[in-house]
Amino acid sequence: MTRSLAFMSFRYAAILLAIAIVLVPVLWMASMAFKPIEEWQATGADLTWIPRAPTLDNFRYIFGRSTSDLIVTLDKTALKPILASFLSAGIGTILAMTAGTSAAYGLSRFGSGANLPLALVQLRLFPPMAVMTPVMIMWAFLSFTDSWWGLALVYGIVTLPFAFWLMKTFFDDMPKEIEEAALVEGCSRGRVFLKITLPMMRAPLASAALFVFILNWSDYLIALLLTTKQWVTIPVYMASLSSSMTGQLYGAKAALGLIAAVPPVVLGVLIQRHLVRGLTFGALKQ
Amino acid sequence: MSTIHLENLVKRFGPFTALKTMDLTIADGEFVALLGPSGCGKSTTMNMIAGIERPSEGRILFGGRDMAGVPMGRRGVGFVFQNYAIFTHMTVRQNLAYGLRATRRPADEVARRVGTMAELLQLTDLMDRPAAGLSVNILQRVAIGRSAVMEPAIFLLDEPLSNVDAAFRAVMRTELKQLQRTFRQTMVYVTHDQLEAMTMADRIAVMDHGVLQQVGTPLEIYNNPANLFVARFIGAPGMNLLRGRPVETAGAMSIDLGELGLTPTLTPEQSAAVRAAKGEVIYGFRPEQVSRGLGMAMPVNFVERIGARTILHLGQGKDVAKVVLENDAGFETGKDLHFLPLPSAVRLFDAASGIALRGH
Repeated sequence: MTRSLAFMSFRYAAILLAIAIVLVPVLWMASMAFKPIEEWQATGADLTWIPRAPTLDNFRYIFGRSTSDLIVTLDKTALKPILASFLSAGIGTILAMTAGTSAAYGLSRFGSGANLPLALVQLRLFPPMAVMTPVMIMWAFLSFTDSWWGLALVYGIVTLPFAFWLMKTFFDDMPKEIEEAALVEGCSRGRVFLKITLPMMRAPLASAALFVFILNWSDYLIALLLTTKQWVTIPVYMASLSSSMTGQLYGAKAALGLIAAVPPVVLGVLIQRHLVRGLTFGALKQ
Repeated sequence: MSTIHLENLVKRFGPFTALKTMDLTIADGEFVALLGPSGCGKSTTMNMIAGIERPSEGRILFGGRDMAGVPMGRRGVGFVFQNYAIFTHMTVRQNLAYGLRATRRPADEVARRVGTMAELLQLTDLMDRPAAGLSVNILQRVAIGRSAVMEPAIFLLDEPLSNVDAAFRAVMRTELKQLQRTFRQTMVYVTHDQLEAMTMADRIAVMDHGVLQQVGTPLEIYNNPANLFVARFIGAPGMNLLRGRPVETAGAMSIDLGELGLTPTLTPEQSAAVRAAKGEVIYGFRPEQVSRGLGMAMPVNFVERIGARTILHLGQGKDVAKVVLENDAGFETGKDLHFLPLPSAVRLFDAASGIALRGH
């Protein structure tokens, strides 16, 4: 198909614009992460894309070593928040995926828990923030506040509807004949689920888990309310990166932002094959 | 023993009745085809035999043993699905070995039986290929092999050939029949393709709208359809069916077909059956069983060349018929064709009930 030159130019211009809008802030962050304080400061003379004097100072700083007289050493390094984010988002994802997958399978195959979809939609109808204050009170009563497990539990609950709905769609799309074939050949239901269904659902499971993980990983508000000191997560910690002398520490924030971007990107690349393959079940005629 | 008895089998899905009632006995080692259009209840029947669905009413017995409550894995049946249901995350070998492994057979036995089956189905070269990405023809072979390797006493096949290409279908028809001859399983084969049913089955059970219409050998079903549905459904093209009124002149009974005139006189047996039935009848004859000559006259409307023979579509409106002639038969489109059903080919049905009037 040949299209007019005008159309093609417009098309590529539009694509470039879209890419620029998305990428410029990201690239700016990456650039800022390697700039010394003089360069990223608001008062800094001229702004450049490429750092004039590239440095790892920002990274050193957030891990506890001040390199400039202008900013005092942090009393808390980024190490614990990174750990907190990993634990809460990771365990939260495992909780949501385990419960969501089991519930979705039960409903999809046996119709058990027919009220569940509605109940879970309701959970999504109002923002999690609407119930966070009551949850905060409950968590305080249970001494779950300011702990990674308390946060993981909330993350698991909040993202459960996503896990459930994604997995339900995937299970609905998987032909039941595949399982019936194994059942007829003398396999037990549990074994069918573990040996046939789950392995065949690798791609959907990976995609859903990545989606849920990113949701948990990027949460700010819940962590802000439920953690105070010990187990603040990366986003909360990032907000606190400022100094009385220089205001917002953009360089340090950029460095931390770059680190925070790593896990989703790495996971995304790892399961990219699955993401692309998506839901094509070669086993059956569609 | 692997006879199958279906007694007063009924299956309802909510308000919808998929299978109204079904009584069928399938002998040990017999090949029975369940034949009918989509939604006639044949797959539902099959799923109940396999234990995938539970009957709403009625009983299923294997060799006298009631199967109610016996889970599908313990029924000793093999099931081949229309869409293969291949485990794509495994190799061909793992697929074939799956059932034997699941039932914990010793490794050397698994290897031996899988090897034999692979050879039988010409899969030996593909054993270590991942099942994902194989052609549908191969996948269906693997699916058949995966069931057959268990050597089930009862082998159930649900439209196994409807997705494979035409040439391969012809090959598999023969191979399946040979497979069944080798293992002597009781085989139940669901299909909507009468050619598959005719070529492979010992007996055919024709179904429509959840009701068993007729059970018989392929020739019985073709020659003596029990009712109008079977007459129309079996044969390509189906039986010609013309509505008429019986008239009796001087002791000889014939059918007044209105504008088409009187039919030749019926045999005494047919006359008796028509007399007993009272009311209008349907006069039926196979398109293949006609002779040229004075009798009926109908205009040639459309010509269908199918290769070996030529099908002529005759008439318009309510009086239509088809005849199958040799390719070199003389005729002119738009002009009348004169023909006569062979006397032995005439079948009569009660117009009101659609039931065959026997007596020929």
